[in-house]
Amino acid sequence: MLMLRVRFHGRGGQGAKVASRVLGTAAFLEGYYAQDFPLYGAERRGAPIAAFTRIADEPIMERGVISEPDVVIVMDKTLLRDHQAKPLSGLKKGGVIFINTPQSPEEARAEYTIAGQIITLDLTKICLDILQRTVISSLAGAVAAKIVGLSEASLKAAVEKVISEIVTDSVILEKNIEAALYCFHAIPAVELKTTEAVQMESRVFTMPFEPAAISSPALNTTGTTVLRKTGNWRVFRPVWDYDACNKCQICVARCPEGCILVNEEGFPYVDYENCKGCLICVEECPAKTLGKEREVHAKADSEEVIG
Amino acid sequence: MGIERIKSIKDLPPEENVFSGTPACAGCGALLSLRLTLKALGRKIVIVNAAGCFTLLTIYPYTPFANSWLYTAMASAPAGAQGVRDALDILLEKGRLDPEEDLKVVVLTGDGAAYDIGLASTSGAIYRNLDFYYLCYDNEAYGNTGFQRSGATPFGSGTGTTPPGSVRPTGTELPKKDLFEIWRSHKPPYLATISPAYPVDLINKFKKAEQYKGPKLFIALSPCPPGWATDPSYTVKLAKLAVGTGVWALKEAVYGEVSHTIVPKKFKPVEEYLKEQGRFAHLFKPVRQEETLKKMQEMVDDYWKRHQLLL
Ligand code: SF4
Ligand code: SF4
Ligand code: SF4
Repeated sequence: MLMLRVRFHGRGGQGAKVASRVLGTAAFLEGYYAQDFPLYGAERRGAPIAAFTRIADEPIMERGVISEPDVVIVMDKTLLRDHQAKPLSGLKKGGVIFINTPQSPEEARAEYTIAGQIITLDLTKICLDILQRTVISSLAGAVAAKIVGLSEASLKAAVEKVISEIVTDSVILEKNIEAALYCFHAIPAVELKTTEAVQMESRVFTMPFEPAAISSPALNTTGTTVLRKTGNWRVFRPVWDYDACNKCQICVARCPEGCILVNEEGFPYVDYENCKGCLICVEECPAKTLGKEREVHAKADSEEVIG
Repeated sequence: MGIERIKSIKDLPPEENVFSGTPACAGCGALLSLRLTLKALGRKIVIVNAAGCFTLLTIYPYTPFANSWLYTAMASAPAGAQGVRDALDILLEKGRLDPEEDLKVVVLTGDGAAYDIGLASTSGAIYRNLDFYYLCYDNEAYGNTGFQRSGATPFGSGTGTTPPGSVRPTGTELPKKDLFEIWRSHKPPYLATISPAYPVDLINKFKKAEQYKGPKLFIALSPCPPGWATDPSYTVKLAKLAVGTGVWALKEAVYGEVSHTIVPKKFKPVEEYLKEQGRFAHLFKPVRQEETLKKMQEMVDDYWKRHQLLL
């Protein structure tokens, strides 16, 4: 029996769940058995999530999360350094890892010491160019479909089916198909011949039952979330231009994260380690002095304290 | 009035009492409401948090808060607040707590708990004249579990459980509950609606509420980018539009007497607010639902006519 296991790693809102659905649907339409499902943490849009697809030529009896994937799709490269996400964990020898990044495969391999076949493509840029947004679900689904060897026709039909269940706008649907097919053709066909898992970074472990005093611990310190660098949630970063800033402090008042501070001269500046890149500050600045820049190389991606 | 009001954004209390790094979504309007509220309430508080998006702000071993925090089930935050208040009062009475160290008790809930599941215990707490603050961040659905319809969901909105389709093209068919009026019928000393886009109004309402002992209730209409299907950068813009179109009336009630604190000079058409949001997209495409849009405008107009603020 043939069975392929694909794991998607994305950030909430990027479309990892839908990507796994596109892949599962494409496989189904091509005559395979398929499963797809997401796994959310306790966090929200922007936080790491994973989604899974199993494809087989016989009924699939296996259930649960995929800990030893044949293919890993990393939809946000900052996740590679995220101790909670651990996207490479369990990847099999001969497996393929796809990374959404402007880097070349060699650059990515060097930066993250990755074993295995690497494919890269800047999905976010393609998505911004074609769809003017950063939800890369159909693009990531298309990349996965190519890697596992599904046909263009099944992919197209799957994107049509899945995306039309989500959006009513036919223009957005068309553009999703366009972007998906573009990505399908932009990456090379690969050979998938996987053996045992090699890149083991963590194993699933069970927690023993603990006394109530431990399992409902008291936290006697304040404001510790600052240590969790939510700066790597960003796709765009706000940038300040002091020449035109009138120090009105509206950006400071509008930031949900409270991470815009004011310097001695009264100019605002931001804690990029924790700015999530919502861009409310940019939208609200009355002097239009605040701009945005695409976040290409993650700035705050390595210092998470606890895994 | 002996209370010092602030006049502009520059007068906002500089201290941050909710720290960054929370797991809330980027651009969360509820987080902005909370951040501004806690600027007003300061650090000497205990938060009693009903299950919802914001119970996830504090995930062990991290907390974004500068104060104490207690988690309760969805239905029972006001009951939890009663317990905390009673404990503080007993300690004060016995002289085991310096009055300087007294804390304000603050209930924090989403609309699911406030409008539906926790309404009975809230009614009980108001009835018992519990001395507490109550903040409801109202994102008009159960945002935490995938945006299912709650009692706060407005007519015409699509949600996870009321998706628009051929049988029910409007999405949600029931109107939003009027929680303000439900609470007002209990005649608490202070009750207000607030908005994260109007921080000066928000802070001044808390300053005013401070003088009353008893229940002090606040409902903040809080845009929710994933649930409302909007760009995170539009959160404040939408909160402003809700007020500017008259959809969200900024008002207060002191012992039941209502006054509006911000009334738009000229109301914008409700459509301007709706068309920005994915949860209302079905009202415009593929076909414009003329009747529904008209009804939604009328519902808003009726409100302001009833209060004689729209002629
Ligand atoms: S982008 Fe959002 S989180 Fe970052 S500083 Fe601006 S308002 Fe704050
Ligand atoms: S909102 Fe714009 S003009 Fe005002 S302080 Fe911020 S950057 Fe300067
Ligand atoms: S789901 Fe909505 S209310 Fe909940 S954290 Fe996200 S933006 Fe805020």
